[in-house]
Amino acid sequence: MPVLLSRRLLLQSSAAFATLATLGFRAQAQGTGGRLIVAADSEPKNLNPAIVASNGVFFIASKVIEPLAEASFTGEDRLEPRLATGWKGSADGLSATFTLREGVKWHDGKPFTSADVAFSAMNIWKPLQNLGRIVFANLSNVETPDEKTAIFRFSKPTPFQLIRNALPVVTSVVPKHLYEGTDIAANPANNTLIGTGPFKFAEYKPGEYYRLERNADYWSEDQPKLDEIVYRVLPDRAGAGTALEAEEIHLAAFSAVPLTDLARIGKEPGIQIISAGYEALTYQLVVEINHRRKELADLRVRQAIAHAIDKDFVVRTIFLGFAEPSTGPVPHNSTEFYFSDVPDYEFDVDKANALLDEAGYTRGSNGTRFSLKLLAAPYFNETRQFGDYLRQALAAIGIDAELANNDSAAHQKAVYTDHAFDLAVAPPVFRGDPAISTTILVQSGIPAGVPFSNQGGYANPELDAIITKASETVDGKARIDLYNDFQRLVAEDLPLINVAEWGFITVARDTVLNVGDNPRWAVSNWADTALKG
Amino acid sequence: MSLFARLAAAPGGRAGLTILGLMAFIAFAAPALFPGDPLRIAGPALLPPFSSSEFPLGTDRLGRDVLACLVHGAQISLLVGLAAAAAAIFVGMVVGALAGFAGGLVEEALMRVVETFQIVPGFLMALAFASVLGASLPIIILAIALAAWAEPARLTRAQVLAIREQDYIAAARALGMHPLEIAFKEILPNALAPVLALSSVIVAGAILTEAALSFLGLGDPNVVTWGSMIAEGRNVIRSAPFLSILPGLALVVTVLGVYLFSEGLADTLRQNGEERP
Amino acid sequence: MKRAIVLLRRRLIGSIPVLLIVVVLTFLLLEAASGDAVDAYLVSMGGGDAALVETLRQSYGLDQSVWARLLLYLQALAHLDLGWSVAFNRPVLALICERLPNTLLLMGTSTALSFCLGSLLGIAAGAKPGSPRDRLLSAGSLVLYAVPGFWLGLVLVIVFSVWLRWLPTSGLETIASGKHGWDRALDIARHLFLPVSALGVIYLALFLRVMRAGMADVWRQDYILFAKARGLPRRRILFRHVARNALLPLVTVLGLQSAAMIGGSVVIESVFAIPGFGRLAQEAVSGRDAPLLMGIILVSAVMVILVNVAVDLLYAALDPRVGASEAAS
Repeated sequence: MPVLLSRRLLLQSSAAFATLATLGFRAQAQGTGGRLIVAADSEPKNLNPAIVASNGVFFIASKVIEPLAEASFTGEDRLEPRLATGWKGSADGLSATFTLREGVKWHDGKPFTSADVAFSAMNIWKPLQNLGRIVFANLSNVETPDEKTAIFRFSKPTPFQLIRNALPVVTSVVPKHLYEGTDIAANPANNTLIGTGPFKFAEYKPGEYYRLERNADYWSEDQPKLDEIVYRVLPDRAGAGTALEAEEIHLAAFSAVPLTDLARIGKEPGIQIISAGYEALTYQLVVEINHRRKELADLRVRQAIAHAIDKDFVVRTIFLGFAEPSTGPVPHNSTEFYFSDVPDYEFDVDKANALLDEAGYTRGSNGTRFSLKLLAAPYFNETRQFGDYLRQALAAIGIDAELANNDSAAHQKAVYTDHAFDLAVAPPVFRGDPAISTTILVQSGIPAGVPFSNQGGYANPELDAIITKASETVDGKARIDLYNDFQRLVAEDLPLINVAEWGFITVARDTVLNVGDNPRWAVSNWADTALKG
Repeated sequence: MSLFARLAAAPGGRAGLTILGLMAFIAFAAPALFPGDPLRIAGPALLPPFSSSEFPLGTDRLGRDVLACLVHGAQISLLVGLAAAAAAIFVGMVVGALAGFAGGLVEEALMRVVETFQIVPGFLMALAFASVLGASLPIIILAIALAAWAEPARLTRAQVLAIREQDYIAAARALGMHPLEIAFKEILPNALAPVLALSSVIVAGAILTEAALSFLGLGDPNVVTWGSMIAEGRNVIRSAPFLSILPGLALVVTVLGVYLFSEGLADTLRQNGEERP
Repeated sequence: MKRAIVLLRRRLIGSIPVLLIVVVLTFLLLEAASGDAVDAYLVSMGGGDAALVETLRQSYGLDQSVWARLLLYLQALAHLDLGWSVAFNRPVLALICERLPNTLLLMGTSTALSFCLGSLLGIAAGAKPGSPRDRLLSAGSLVLYAVPGFWLGLVLVIVFSVWLRWLPTSGLETIASGKHGWDRALDIARHLFLPVSALGVIYLALFLRVMRAGMADVWRQDYILFAKARGLPRRRILFRHVARNALLPLVTVLGLQSAAMIGGSVVIESVFAIPGFGRLAQEAVSGRDAPLLMGIILVSAVMVILVNVAVDLLYAALDPRVGASEAAS
């Protein structure tokens, strides 16, 4: 089977798009219900996407609970309406108005209204949600002049650009009537979800599977196409590919099939490999640096490390080509924000060695300049492998790095609370806007213990000023300019080193239709996903 | 005939000796055979075995020389196995002997602890220990020893108790030998033999436990072991099965060597006993 | 039966101090760990801020002192309450009850099969020590005894699930299949085949070897020589005298191995994605879920005690010379 390239590339040609659209249409007509079985690699403790905005939760919950808008390849502002049909920010950045969809019902039959949105925003997104706390930090109240209008009021100017970019991730709406007056964090509805989405939460057998059922009353006519979605829990990475080949499951998303197996599995009849559908979920491979180490506080040393990393090798060998070398903190596929005019650190071991000599760290008698503690995040095979690679790359420039094997909790504590690292490998996510989870990686003044943030002791007043200014700049164009400066400054001063950026791969049987048709496909609602014949 | 010659004469014993000798040689010679860090990225990734003269057994996921890793892996796997077994046997013997000699409350308390370690699945304990304290070589060795010391402790105590009651000890006591002298000169040497006979099984168990821990991701990332090679190979098991099959075979052969050796040794010792008048 | 209950009660009560040590050690081990339950949770959450982290720690009770938490746990335990799992947000007992049957099924089948097959093959080998059949079985069992179960599991999956496609790769049964009765039993059997083989082979080899060695010893005993001299039929000597007596050490080994078997199933469950006890233990450790891990270790310790009581009773039944009172001491 052919490897479909990122759909974004295909869209550059309208002819190609037309073909795809027809294909999509034909495919939809062929869908005949049925049960889709997909691999799930984790069982989130709290399945409520309004509280935990993470891909692990969205993968399952996004079919049941919907956001106000979803990401789209073609829609205006790269968005597609879901529970909101229209949105508009005021010029002063102090309010945002959402027009809500008519005729939507919760799975328990109650009508969906603006009160649900107001409740979710004020009682969950802002106070409880991991990302909403940042995006809605200045939200003061939500007015509901009628059942289908919600007006968000902000105490300080908040760029609507940010709100818009964050809509798919931070605005999962939950029913007020089930949560009001309860302990929200402990509400049983966090695990037996009630939403407005195309599928109803039917059953969960811990350790085995989740089962979702078709919502016959879904607001979109003719949707969903499937009768059922079953998530089979396969925590083991090697398990998904085998299960797929043995035709026990239809689909494995989020690169559950190891990249190394793709070339082989792609040749199997009836299996397709799809890299589209992750454009808005870009993961970044980053080397975090502890600037408290005197050697690493020297820009020349950081530059040397950047020169020592062969990004092409990383992309080619670790990611087997399913990634792109990074130039800075914003990934290439963020067409809105990406800025390419930044310093480039080509792979050059001699230059790296020269920089280290110049910085005064000459090689000792054993060929070593100094030793470092290297912690690779254990979350992905690729981050571990990059840790192994980086150790070797550093050895080539006379830096002796010792790897530690920590599990997730220990890594979290060591890096983000105890700062017990010199270099760390991290996979932060770019979530459509730098202000959501990117600037926090380099901003100063973040207390210890905050995960996925700057805990390397880096402080650059110029960079901090840009970040603060951008967070209050309402004008989209001016804000983009500020983020261009941000990218240039990060690439120049290297508070961290961006190595590569990658989306995931979906492997599916070719009976599964309409896979990857939006930039957050794996975590979108799958209303148009269908099974052939 | 010396014990060694006898052992070498028995077919099982000979095979065991050969395997272990070979493994020991490989382990010692590893730095000379393949100088430098075996984890160094040496060539193109995922070369199949026998396809290149430079990498006779191919390369792994990152382009590391599989043969070099296997050879260096022998070193670490044997080191971990021996160190963990030595630690387990030492602690076991000390605790067992202490309990056996002290008697009373001390014995009761010590044996309670031993019992604890016997009823809690050892592997579970090692797993929890290594993952909680971070998998580095010393921690892994400790974790394996932790899971394995109870059996030698129990055995030592039983031996001490049994020997204490024997006539020659009573005779020594009657002769007025100091209790400590009796303990070290008469009881311990006799009590140790069966415990040491157990040691080869403990070494084999330790090698296998290390492999299983590495397989579950609890290996030291700075060194290469057969278990970590299997774990790495598992990710590519269908496109490059040799990456997990080869180190697995090395494991099987080594452990088999240990068993053959210990079996041959037991046989030889028994024959010795039978031949004595 | 009454004897069994008395024995069981005495063993369980006698082991309370031991179990207490287990609990306290487990608790302290997790306390010594780098990172706590909140750190583990934050990773899956993908981010948060300082205030959120603070709130989470409070809601987990992690703002209390170590000893206060241990005391609370022990108080609850005294009322046979295993506590609340922080990683799963559910009662520990419910989680254990859910996972335990899977592990018992896997272990029970492996044990039963490897015991039966192992002793039969052991008899076949030990019937005539030194014969070609004996040599073959002995050598084969030694090789199998050296094979790590997890590696064997991987190889079996490659051969039987990926190449031949005869058996499923993982799991315990076809999910949400709606099968009942025999269909379901058959489905489970198909799923169990590979994991049971991977877990059982090493014990099969062990039982075979112990049986064979035991028989070789018995053949040398005077009463067998006497029976032979009396001209008793060989078959009768083999089964009534040799095999029966050689079975005794096998039963002892079975008891000794029960703890190791639970450990072995941890890795096998990971290879075959079986939602059992072993995987739960791994999840408890990675989630820094002290109550859950303590519950798991307690329950597996109790299981080991139960198996040993059963083994003692079996021993007594097989060997009339040993009374249950002796076995209990």
